[in-house]
Amino acid sequence: MNSGFPLPPGERPLTERIDALLSDAEHRDNPLRAPLAELYDAFSDHLCQLERITRISDHYQAAERDRGAGHAVNYRRQLRRLEKIVRISDQYQGMLRELNQRLEWLSHRDALTGLPNRRHALKRLREEHLRAQRGGRSFVIMIIDIDHFKDINDTWGHEFGDHALTAVAARLAASVREYDVCARWGGEEFLVMLSDTEPCTAGDNAERLRACVGSDPFIIGERQLRITVSLGVGSCRPGEELAELMKRVDDALYLAKHEGRDRIAFAR
Amino acid sequence: MNDFEIPATESTPLIRTDRTAGRLEMSGDSYPENSFELFQPVIDWLAGFLDQVLQPLTLELKLMYLNTSSVRAMMDIFDALQDAHERGQAVTVNWRYDRDNERVADLAAEFKEDYTFPFEIIPGS
Repeated sequence: MNSGFPLPPGERPLTERIDALLSDAEHRDNPLRAPLAELYDAFSDHLCQLERITRISDHYQAAERDRGAGHAVNYRRQLRRLEKIVRISDQYQGMLRELNQRLEWLSHRDALTGLPNRRHALKRLREEHLRAQRGGRSFVIMIIDIDHFKDINDTWGHEFGDHALTAVAARLAASVREYDVCARWGGEEFLVMLSDTEPCTAGDNAERLRACVGSDPFIIGERQLRITVSLGVGSCRPGEELAELMKRVDDALYLAKHEGRDRIAFAR
Repeated sequence: MNDFEIPATESTPLIRTDRTAGRLEMSGDSYPENSFELFQPVIDWLAGFLDQVLQPLTLELKLMYLNTSSVRAMMDIFDALQDAHERGQAVTVNWRYDRDNERVADLAAEFKEDYTFPFEIIPGS
């Protein structure tokens, strides 16, 4: 047993000295011997108790520390798991968003010709019409119809007709600027909208489009075929509703057809 | 631990168990309104199988879109497989995906991370 008390230099530990004094026969009759022996026993018991309490307390502290570390490990694992769920979930959302954009794009396309469809054309027409009404620059629209398309279908079949439609669409689309609209308007009808365009240039533009289809024959499959188009052309009057303009351009197209096709008629 | 089959719906995948073959199959999209209701039978079946059956287990997946709670449920399932794997049981995941949707493969790889059991990501048609 070591009391742990600091020792003066050159001294033996107190406990050893007391042990020696108590076992020395010379002091057997000393009246202090019995009380010292009693005190020493009591002291030893207390020391023993104290060490036990310290040991138990140390164990508790260690257990508590381990428990805390366990919580920390658990917390880090949960956090890591949560981060993984969030990361994966974000990716799924990204995937859906892309799909959404793709569907949105497809909903504005004509599947056969790859041109923007009527829905897209109407949206752009409305935007452009609003801009012009607010004092923006004017625009020109044309409705272009393939001449005798029914005959092409009836003579060569619908599949051939589809190829012809696609070929005409490609020529028209290649003949407008990037910010213009060239859309499939319906059956064999196309709509071209030239934005930021003065009405006085409408004739030249329309002639250019007529010629890009009609001047050179198409080669479809093994056949060579001349296809012509008729065009109704117009631009918006101040304060005119879009529907009125469309009606005038439609009437012009009818006139171009009536007057012999492969030609341009201006809206009145 | 009876086998069961839940037919696919618009928002939930087909789920089919086969104790004899050691197979659990899930395919389709997973957007359940109540993911607990959908996945609890799967997790229970899986726990029963891994507890009572010693033969190998294969999880056949062909999942497309998962909402967040489904992602979480799938991780619970993979965690259970990982525990079984660490106990020495043979478990495998085969995650099949369409070639035209490579992003599903990326996502499967994201799931696979952290697991040490065989986890195959297989391109299909």
